[in-house]
Amino acid sequence: MNALAAEFSKLKRSLSWAVVVLLPIVLVATGLIMTLIDGRGLEDGWHTLWMRSIVFYGLFPLSVGIAILASLVWRAEHRGSNWNALMAGPTPSLQIIIAKAAVISVLAAIMQVIAVVTTVALGMIGFGLPGFLPPEYLAISLLIILASVPVAVLQSWLSMQMRSFAAPVAVAFLGAGFSAFLLVVGLDAAIFISPYAALSRATQLGTATFADTGDITAGVIAAIIAACLLLSTLLAAANTVVLERADART
Amino acid sequence: MSAIVVNEFARMRHLHVVLLVAVLFAVVTGIGLYAAVFNPDFDRTSASSWNTLLMGMGSGFTLAAPLLLAVVASRLVDAEHQGGGWLMSATSGVTPGGLCRAKLLALGLLVAGATVLVSAAFAAVGLAVGIDAPWPAGRWLGLTACLLVVSLALLALHVVLAARVENQLVGIGLGLLGAVVALISTAVPTWIAHLTPWGYYALSAAAGYVDGQLAGFAPSYLNIGGLSAVAAAIFALFTRSFDRQEV
Repeated sequence: MNALAAEFSKLKRSLSWAVVVLLPIVLVATGLIMTLIDGRGLEDGWHTLWMRSIVFYGLFPLSVGIAILASLVWRAEHRGSNWNALMAGPTPSLQIIIAKAAVISVLAAIMQVIAVVTTVALGMIGFGLPGFLPPEYLAISLLIILASVPVAVLQSWLSMQMRSFAAPVAVAFLGAGFSAFLLVVGLDAAIFISPYAALSRATQLGTATFADTGDITAGVIAAIIAACLLLSTLLAAANTVVLERADART
Repeated sequence: MSAIVVNEFARMRHLHVVLLVAVLFAVVTGIGLYAAVFNPDFDRTSASSWNTLLMGMGSGFTLAAPLLLAVVASRLVDAEHQGGGWLMSATSGVTPGGLCRAKLLALGLLVAGATVLVSAAFAAVGLAVGIDAPWPAGRWLGLTACLLVVSLALLALHVVLAARVENQLVGIGLGLLGAVVALISTAVPTWIAHLTPWGYYALSAAAGYVDGQLAGFAPSYLNIGGLSAVAAAIFALFTRSFDRQEV
């Protein structure tokens, strides 16, 4: 628990809020601005609004955003002699890995909350849609938050290994792009191999875009949850083994 | 100067910058060809096929280049922050500004190579498919040159930013934002596209939909030329101010 508290205090004054707040607002607004420019209305009300705002966001910007947060969280450890302090400290490797991934996941969860709030605000105020966002999208948001966890674990690992801030972000961009392509060609099983695919798949749920049929079935939800748990556990375990064997650097 | 540039290439080896530029080539080609070949207007008996390829090339750069150029620039410049390289170079007579110019030149050569390869790959696909209409050489070379100029301007922006702001979050974040701006710029009135450097990818377009019909047109050469002049002036100004700062 101390490790987690330490991670949160390291985030202070780290500019992570800029990513967490700006990224979802800008991306959700972009989806809607494109809609307005194209002159297409929201034929299906809230459903069209969700599709336009969240699906593009889930294709690659969300994964890249998580990658940036992961780089930010690990940045402190790569500076000065902090890496050696980490190696010499008494905190078990597993605790470090879990604390890092947890902090990134919490930030990703806040991002999703802000994305939903922006969507609702734009829908009610900007487009004057009647009612409220259909409740299934709130449930899907929970699934998106869960699907952010394996991406957070993987990016945390990449940012631990690479001292550069930018390189893990490039990996996320490439991985998310390739995963999106796999989903487009209908390779749904990609979600069990690529965390980016699982996250993209969760954002497409119920929208009938890319890999989605438009029906939210228990089977699809179960598959996404299973993929997330499997990938998170495997990646965290592998990451712990690697960190356990890492040594001080001079 | 040439010795410093050679030095930059040596520095790139362990930073995998060449690999990142290869990724840029692969992603731009992948997105672009996907967009072109799956376009319903891609049909090898009509001239519109060349137009879909020209459009695809533009959209590949629009989506992938802003972020990846930021990554490439950040990677090469951040090495100086991490290893105290500014001071070390300054003691051997290379000012921080000079170092930035050398980095832009070295990265620019790589990006230029990647851009030419992308252009050649798209032309090769068109010729291999056997499009009946003649290859639109003028517009093709024009688009390639315009895309390259915009990419170099963005590269200059990111080199300066990565050198100036030590926290690389700022540059990478701007690159991601740039991808969004570049995408929006393809759909907004052209005066808005003029306002940001990323918008100039949209102004480079050599083909597009006019009233629902796919048509070819010339890129906005004059505006892209203006961008290159402004970018060169600002880059020179900033790197000169780096030269006078204490490291």
